[in-house]
Amino acid sequence: MDVISCQGLTKTFGRVRALNNITFTIGQNRITGLIGPNGAGKTTLLKIIAGFLRASSGEVRVFSEDPFNNLKVAANMIFIDDQMRFPQSLTLSEILASAAAFYENWDMELARGLFDYFSLDPEQYHHKLSKGMKSTFNMIIGLAARCPLTIFDEPTTGMDAGVRKDFYRALLRDYLQNPRTIIISSHLLNEIEDILEDIFLLSEGEKRLQTPVSDLKEFAVALRGRREVIDKLTADQEIYYQKSVGKDYSYVVIRRDAAEELLKKAGRDGLEVFPVKADDLCVYLTSRKRGGIDSVFDRN
Amino acid sequence: MELNAVEGKPIYVQIAEWLEEEILRGHIKEHEKIYSQYQLAEMFNINPATAAKGINILADQGILYKKRGLGMFLSPEAKEKIRDKRKNHTLKKLVEEVVFEAQLLGVTEAELISMIRDAGKEFDEHDEHEGIEGG
Repeated sequence: MDVISCQGLTKTFGRVRALNNITFTIGQNRITGLIGPNGAGKTTLLKIIAGFLRASSGEVRVFSEDPFNNLKVAANMIFIDDQMRFPQSLTLSEILASAAAFYENWDMELARGLFDYFSLDPEQYHHKLSKGMKSTFNMIIGLAARCPLTIFDEPTTGMDAGVRKDFYRALLRDYLQNPRTIIISSHLLNEIEDILEDIFLLSEGEKRLQTPVSDLKEFAVALRGRREVIDKLTADQEIYYQKSVGKDYSYVVIRRDAAEELLKKAGRDGLEVFPVKADDLCVYLTSRKRGGIDSVFDRN
Repeated sequence: MELNAVEGKPIYVQIAEWLEEEILRGHIKEHEKIYSQYQLAEMFNINPATAAKGINILADQGILYKKRGLGMFLSPEAKEKIRDKRKNHTLKKLVEEVVFEAQLLGVTEAELISMIRDAGKEFDEHDEHEGIEGG
């Protein structure tokens, strides 16, 4: 069953087109990473899914309903970002108590466990927390709410490396015990790559790629060799990234299947083959310099 | 074991290889249930779908078999199959790379063979207590 489906989703703010004709579905109980450079439209897309914003055109369905101003979606979904505001008069422990009243599946034991682990003070006020502590507290709300649809928009803002690692570990362990649909946005893939099932790549308001993470890693390879050899070999290939190495050498990133064909024909003589890290590939695929992104879409 | 994210090998391939090594070392017995995708996900901090993909590679090769509703079990031919596969693919490839490097450096065949012998001696000393069942 699809938890989210979007058909031709477009969002404009005045003359700015933030999202352009996006079509996709997200299946139940999968962890999806929404990856894209700053200004790609990640937050806008998530806020439309959450029902905070209304699409300019196209169709959006969350739990088979239009999410905008929808109580069913609001009760079954939680949206966590660093802009979350809570009543200033409530202490952190009072916020937990009121969240417990709102979310049907709320797990107070988990909330308190994480609360203690991260040494949060129950009598503290949310607006007095540091940036990293705010993110940590918001993360606890997001996990303990156990919503069938859980959305984290750049959840680790301000967290130190240790807390980030703990957060992703906590997310995975809680997901293993209580599978649910989770979307995490980030401009960095490498820190979330392992716990994701799917990746959704967005840039300039358009969907670039939606694929299982395991396929992404095998999608492209890099070749390094003498420039004239590389140039000749890859003349007809779609090149995702290219750079010079020293004076005479060249480094190119192309599709793995294309590279295998080429190497079969040309032999490996003088050519070195490297894997391409998934997060590097994301950067290449979302940068504007190299055109010809269409082959990525044609794959599905 | 820590998974190597930098190396090009996809995580699910690393999972399959780790399981193979567990089997070769005799840590999993014939007809014994192997780790579930959820156990592997927790052990290696990865998505359970990725872990399942690693398990499925071994199932497709007949190293594991499925009992409906119960999980994956080790088939009696598992060790033999892994040994065959690794010898004819992994080891062969590694040898090719060694030979390639040796030729590049101008190392003679005799020199190379003596290097392999020396390396073998070192391993024997290290592995005496490991109890890897040889083929």
